[in-house]
Amino acid sequence: MTRLVLAALALLLCGARAEAADVVIGAIFGLSGNAAQSGQDAKMAMETEAAIINDAHAPIPMLLGQGGGLPHMGGAKIRLIFADHEADPQKARAEAERLITQDHVVALIGSYQSATAATISQVAERYQIPFLSVDNSSPSLSARGLTWFFRTSPHDVMFTQAMFDFFKDIGAQTGRPVKSVALIYEDSIFGADSSGVQRKMAAAAGIKVLADLRYRANSPSLAAEVARLKAAGADVVMPSSYTNDAILMLRAMHDIGYQPPAIMAQDAGFIDQTFVNAVGPLAEGAMSRSSFALDAVASRPAIPQVNALFRARAGKDLNDMTSRELVGLQVLADAIDRAGSTKPEDIRTALRATNIPGAQTIMPWRGIRFDQNGQNTEANPVIEQIQGGHYRTIWPADVASAKPVWHVGE
Amino acid sequence: MSLAAVVQMLLSGLLMGLIYALVAAGLSLIFGLMDVVNFAHGELLMLAMYATFFLWRGTGIEPLLLVPVVAILLFGVGMVIYRTLIARALGVRANRGMVQIFITFGLAIFLQGAAQFAFGGDFRSIGHSLLANRTVAFAGVYLPLPQAAAGVVCLLAFAALLLIARTEFGRALEATREDREAVALLGIDRDRIFALGWGLGAASVGVAGAMLAGFYYTSPDVGANFALIAYVTVALGGFGSLAGALLAGVLIGEVEAVTAQLFDPSLKQVGVLGVYLLVLLVRPRGLFGTL
Repeated sequence: MTRLVLAALALLLCGARAEAADVVIGAIFGLSGNAAQSGQDAKMAMETEAAIINDAHAPIPMLLGQGGGLPHMGGAKIRLIFADHEADPQKARAEAERLITQDHVVALIGSYQSATAATISQVAERYQIPFLSVDNSSPSLSARGLTWFFRTSPHDVMFTQAMFDFFKDIGAQTGRPVKSVALIYEDSIFGADSSGVQRKMAAAAGIKVLADLRYRANSPSLAAEVARLKAAGADVVMPSSYTNDAILMLRAMHDIGYQPPAIMAQDAGFIDQTFVNAVGPLAEGAMSRSSFALDAVASRPAIPQVNALFRARAGKDLNDMTSRELVGLQVLADAIDRAGSTKPEDIRTALRATNIPGAQTIMPWRGIRFDQNGQNTEANPVIEQIQGGHYRTIWPADVASAKPVWHVGE
Repeated sequence: MSLAAVVQMLLSGLLMGLIYALVAAGLSLIFGLMDVVNFAHGELLMLAMYATFFLWRGTGIEPLLLVPVVAILLFGVGMVIYRTLIARALGVRANRGMVQIFITFGLAIFLQGAAQFAFGGDFRSIGHSLLANRTVAFAGVYLPLPQAAAGVVCLLAFAALLLIARTEFGRALEATREDREAVALLGIDRDRIFALGWGLGAASVGVAGAMLAGFYYTSPDVGANFALIAYVTVALGGFGSLAGALLAGVLIGEVEAVTAQLFDPSLKQVGVLGVYLLVLLVRPRGLFGTL
């Protein structure tokens, strides 16, 4: 249904703008299915950035923030064609192929679920089209020697390193270090990769893993899983969960009277406003790694304007996922602009030469520079905590807007 | 494992199992009545949950009081589905089984899409109500009140369904199931009985959805999380048997809880399906099956 409407819209747009040499980019997200909202949010983030690049508006203090199309390409406009992978890796493969062969897109961008990025990147490699992964966090994606794969966002090794660095800092500050953790993660590539890294880093930091629980995603109940967490009684519970499971998990904890001293989530569901709305006060104090800090306005002056534009479309603030999606398109558009060409090979060369300082984006990162695996090495994450019903950046200190609330060891 | 933890595990399993049972009851009723497997059953659950959510949000009425409203609403939905789709599917001359499978399957996909179009993909939850997020603790065992209330309502709904089975209408249902042609000779309107059967089946899943909305999240494909278990519950309990659905639902809830406690929690459905396969080997018609 959604796809039909999109196809009709795409056709209309084609007809209307046939004369302009648009740059056509294929965006693949899960627009329907179990994580449809995340896909719809991604779509609105992409559309916001495309509008910032294409339309005439007051200048925004960031890269390509002046509007009016791509300056080195005679003001060519970015045109997005959206495809729906329904969170299914096989559909993602088919949709990627369709975008390349039928819609002749010059680059692909996506895709939220890491499992779908795995298949899209294979198709991109085969057809020699750049694929920019904007929000997938599985480390394995950039460890397969692909040459058409680029990822602006940090992966779970970098994210998890930030969590353990934070544990070390806060332990030294308060004298109440983390001695044990409990891992709980969903049973797809996201949970498997995330927990694998956490297990290793806990061992390296001398932190005991008291529970190691893999659960079935979209379960009707997580009562038994949470009962095992309670029995383990670790200092920090570390979930890797999508939104629906995150809601269920916190409710199940509450149902059996379990409140862990700290929760440190691997983003995803725990950084979703829907999650906070659904569980309300139960989420208070939960921490998550993130790569976006909405409150870092002092060092990233473009945030208020960009957020206002996104809010006008989506009716909510930018979050960790949507900010990365938006910046991903900015980076890809910049590479195409610098390439001055829509040939995939030229775009790849320009992507490899990318060197954008963080302040030219809305992210709290040092910047964007890809290594030989296509991974952005300058994307340093932040830690956020839900305080008074809002996400506040608590670490690292230079972008923090609130002090951490720390109950471990009390 | 402490005694409190064991009791907690069994209690969680029981409460979840009662919900499974009530979701399955409607499916069982429809299947038993006319040999139609309703693949859109999970989507009826979804509709009931959305109805509860929006009625609660719109009126602020306590979700518990909305149960009868949602049940009546779903009764209507069930009747309409029967009259517009199922009656036609039953009327075709060739491949009747296939047609009814595709029709209910198509309906499921349509309802999911329609829900996403109308309500968006966000997860909705009833934030505050009399029972929301409240628990009672006794000797280290916690009883979450929304689930407990759902369990009680589920048992009441089963009692009501069993009572209905003893009425004139219930006997007509039973007779229609036994011999469609003969009841027509007795002047019973088969079509009307079937429509009421669908209404009743949808109403019971409506009750389950209204209670579930009080502690679960609501989204366009929430039905899928419960549908598979509902089919297994019906098959395990025996097709067309209400008591079987009740027992099988509770059994599945407990097997799930115990599997998740003792093994890798991601294997809990394997435990459930393992038990089902075992029953299938020993007693193919299900625990209480008569068909």
